[in-house]
Amino acid sequence: MFTIKPVLSSLMRSRTGPLLLLLQIVLSVAIVANAGFIIQERLALMQRSSGIAEQSVLSFSLYNFGEKVNLPQQLKRDLEILRNIPGIKAATSTNMLPLSGSGWSDRFIDGPDPETAKSTPGFAWYLGGEQMVDTLGVNVIEGRNFRADELNHSITDSGMKALMSAPLAKEVFGEESAVGQIMYQGSDNQIEIIGVVEVLQGAWVDSDQFDYSVIQNIELNENRSNQFMVRADRRDVPALEETIKQALRAENPDRVIRNFNTLRELKDMSYAFHAVMAGMLSIMIILLLVITSLGLSGMVMFNIQRRTKQIGTRRALGARKRDIVGMFLVENWLICFSGGLLGGLLAMELGSQLMTLFSLPMMGWQWPAMTVAGLLVITTVAVLLPARKAALISPAIATRTV
Amino acid sequence: MLSMKKINKVFKTDLVETHALRDFDLQVEEGEFVAVTGPSGSGKTTFLNIAGLLEGFTQGEYTLDGVNVSRLNDNQAARIRNEKIGFIFQGFNLIPDLNLAENVEVPLRYRGFNSAERKRRVEQALEQVGLGARMKHLPSQLSGGQQQRVAIARALAGEPRFLLADEPTGNLDSLMARQVMELLEEINRNGTTIIMVTHDPELARRAQRNIQIVDGQVCDFTLYQGGDEPQAARA
Ligand SMILES: Nc1ncnc2c1ncn2[C@@H]1O[C@H](COP(=O)(O)OP(=O)(O)OP(=O)(O)O)[C@@H](O)[C@H]1O
Ligand SMILES: [Mg+2]
Repeated sequence: MFTIKPVLSSLMRSRTGPLLLLLQIVLSVAIVANAGFIIQERLALMQRSSGIAEQSVLSFSLYNFGEKVNLPQQLKRDLEILRNIPGIKAATSTNMLPLSGSGWSDRFIDGPDPETAKSTPGFAWYLGGEQMVDTLGVNVIEGRNFRADELNHSITDSGMKALMSAPLAKEVFGEESAVGQIMYQGSDNQIEIIGVVEVLQGAWVDSDQFDYSVIQNIELNENRSNQFMVRADRRDVPALEETIKQALRAENPDRVIRNFNTLRELKDMSYAFHAVMAGMLSIMIILLLVITSLGLSGMVMFNIQRRTKQIGTRRALGARKRDIVGMFLVENWLICFSGGLLGGLLAMELGSQLMTLFSLPMMGWQWPAMTVAGLLVITTVAVLLPARKAALISPAIATRTV
Repeated sequence: MLSMKKINKVFKTDLVETHALRDFDLQVEEGEFVAVTGPSGSGKTTFLNIAGLLEGFTQGEYTLDGVNVSRLNDNQAARIRNEKIGFIFQGFNLIPDLNLAENVEVPLRYRGFNSAERKRRVEQALEQVGLGARMKHLPSQLSGGQQQRVAIARALAGEPRFLLADEPTGNLDSLMARQVMELLEEINRNGTTIIMVTHDPELARRAQRNIQIVDGQVCDFTLYQGGDEPQAARA
């Protein structure tokens, strides 16, 4: 049923048709393998855990324009109001929103002398109230959260306490426990690490230090502009925007309250480029595969037309139907396989170019291999359908056509 | 060897029914060389196709080499074609992309012979038709007569009991036609039964036995010995 040598020599003699198809397969493999790999990379980025209950956290901004407002008093009052709204389980002010693409970053040093001390990597620097941990839903795995009575209101206060994300703690302290360690900001400010949270991402989804975060016990209360995050049940979130606006305006009408977004929405916006990219690459892959399988089917149909008499003759000489199907399969498997081999090499080359150009990680050989395997399946299906028609050509054709 | 009893073949198309063979009776003995003549459209090719199991028939009984082959499935028919029957076509029907050796090899591959056996038979068959030196040539590099000799080699390589030829010299000039005819006669002398359809009365006369098909029925001229055109006489 499957003989290779005469099929190969016949292919070698018919040149252009198979050659074009070969070229198409080479390019398809090179492009599909890399596109698949890039899609997978993007999806993997999006699937990293942020450590946050994204859909249950609603964020908004508030600007007090009233002349006579006492800002620290107002913040205190606003937090009380928020925490009393039914459905809100926790609320905090914050200097930055996670996953939003903008925020604060900082570094600690491990000693009081900036000349000799070693610096930590940069991290997202969250400043907020004692309910920050509960609002985000992050998991404290070691040590403790700070208490309301430990809150500071300015970054120059003393008695600084901080929670670190576990990846950062591991990077800075290795196997040693982070809890109890003293870090510095400049020579004066001491910060005691009192807890470690399992996962907490920062604001910048493309950052190498996305998993490095610190929450510090600073509730900034001297600004006219503030950001808030509240935690509720997912189902209650949609209704909260109106409730919050009404409650805060009833307290003091002289302010603008806006930019309501769940953290999930912020995350989706941050990843929008990646999602569009993955979507476009997927469409491209599908198009390429459709075009390739149409090319294969088309070529088989063309060959059936061209070889009607040959097929009849082969049948007359003793070919069974499955020998005819096998002939077309072998022919196109050969094209697909050699195209796949060349395409695989081209794919790896393209991959290493992309790696250096766009600082992507190197694509594994599995991607071209999987692409070729997939193409073999597609080839089989694309060839099988028309080839089964070819097998129905009557052997009587051999004597009826001259 | 070959026995057809009351074979009927009807071609049905949307509008017309063509009765290509009617109650067609024929016996052919082992080792005979039968020439088949008849007007165009009389059913010669239809007869040959049925004899060669290239198509089925509507009614009747056909025994080949002692086996009733009236109702075979597709694979069984393919196998008998491959093992017992050699075909020679008017248009040679060589595969243009394959060289001569590969062409002759085609039925041997379907037969499942190993490569040494195939090689031996290909060489022997091409040798026999006088083309042993041109195994690597493509069909397009040969004259019509040479191509038909390759086709004969292809038919012979499987050592069939039967050779069926539909106007094997129809596309050849008279010199080449005579060479092909001589080759067929030699093959027949070696014991292969041959049935050949031809329009050429001169070639037909050289066969041991002539039959004429008229209107889908046989007129038999057993051991016709030359002279004038055979007269139609319904069997
Ligand atoms: N596939 C077919 N469908 C319909 N009718 C057919 C088919 N094949 C043959 N016929 C008809 O059957 C009859 C016999 O045809 P056949 O080809 O056997 O004649 P022939 O004797 O070989 O003629 P020629 O000498 O021209 O080759 C003709 O009337 C032909 O039109
Ligand atoms: Mg005919």
